[in-house]
Amino acid sequence: MNLISGTDITADALSAQKTRLDIVAQNIANAQTTRTPSGGPYQRQIVSFETELLKQTGGSSLETVRVSGITPDPTPGQQVYNPQHPDAGPDGMVTMPNVNLAYEMVDLITASRAYEANLSFAKDARTLAQKTLEIGK
Amino acid sequence: MLPIGSINPGLTALPLSRPEALTGSPAAGTDGITSAPGSSNGFGTMLDGLVNLVDEKQAAEQVTTQKVLLGNTDQLHQSVIAMQEASVALSLMVQVRNKLVESYQELMRMSV
Repeated sequence: MNLISGTDITADALSAQKTRLDIVAQNIANAQTTRTPSGGPYQRQIVSFETELLKQTGGSSLETVRVSGITPDPTPGQQVYNPQHPDAGPDGMVTMPNVNLAYEMVDLITASRAYEANLSFAKDARTLAQKTLEIGK
Repeated sequence: MLPIGSINPGLTALPLSRPEALTGSPAAGTDGITSAPGSSNGFGTMLDGLVNLVDEKQAAEQVTTQKVLLGNTDQLHQSVIAMQEASVALSLMVQVRNKLVESYQELMRMSV
């Protein structure tokens, strides 16, 4: 039983946005990584969301959100001439990760704003529930 | 003079069934007023359910908070949301209790 309606959805949305924030952190952290277990430079990861029908005991059915997948960005990375680099090819070129810090900052800001929006819903739902309880006073 | 129990038989059981449900001990009724545990009187069962709900919410909140504190999960928001729910459930229970005491006192003040 759920006392405050909508909090399940908010919790899922917060989880989803948190995953997005984590992936942004991963992308920024690996912006200079030229070697990965699978070989080659790090590939930027993209998070996508999908809706999920939330089962409810009463009332209308609601749709929550979940992470549908984390997919790599296929864009080729930048080639940099750096013959001293251990991962440089025979021509002295190093393939850098395809992470663009400007994109990552935009993603970071949108993800954190989305997280905040969901947080303000959680806050509001609590206030409303408490106001409702004040009917009897 | 009419006994209160004859107006609503559930009323006499009320003040006793709640502390019993809180402590979980099978306390018998005192002062000649008998509470009827397990019987299907409306108010007592409803109140029992309410106390159980609050207890459930608080247990769930404890489990999630413990997980976060032990580092088993990083879902901090779930712990806080569970806390919120537990707090609202407790406020609801307190409100119901206030209303019950109020109506009980109203009945006691009634001159027949």
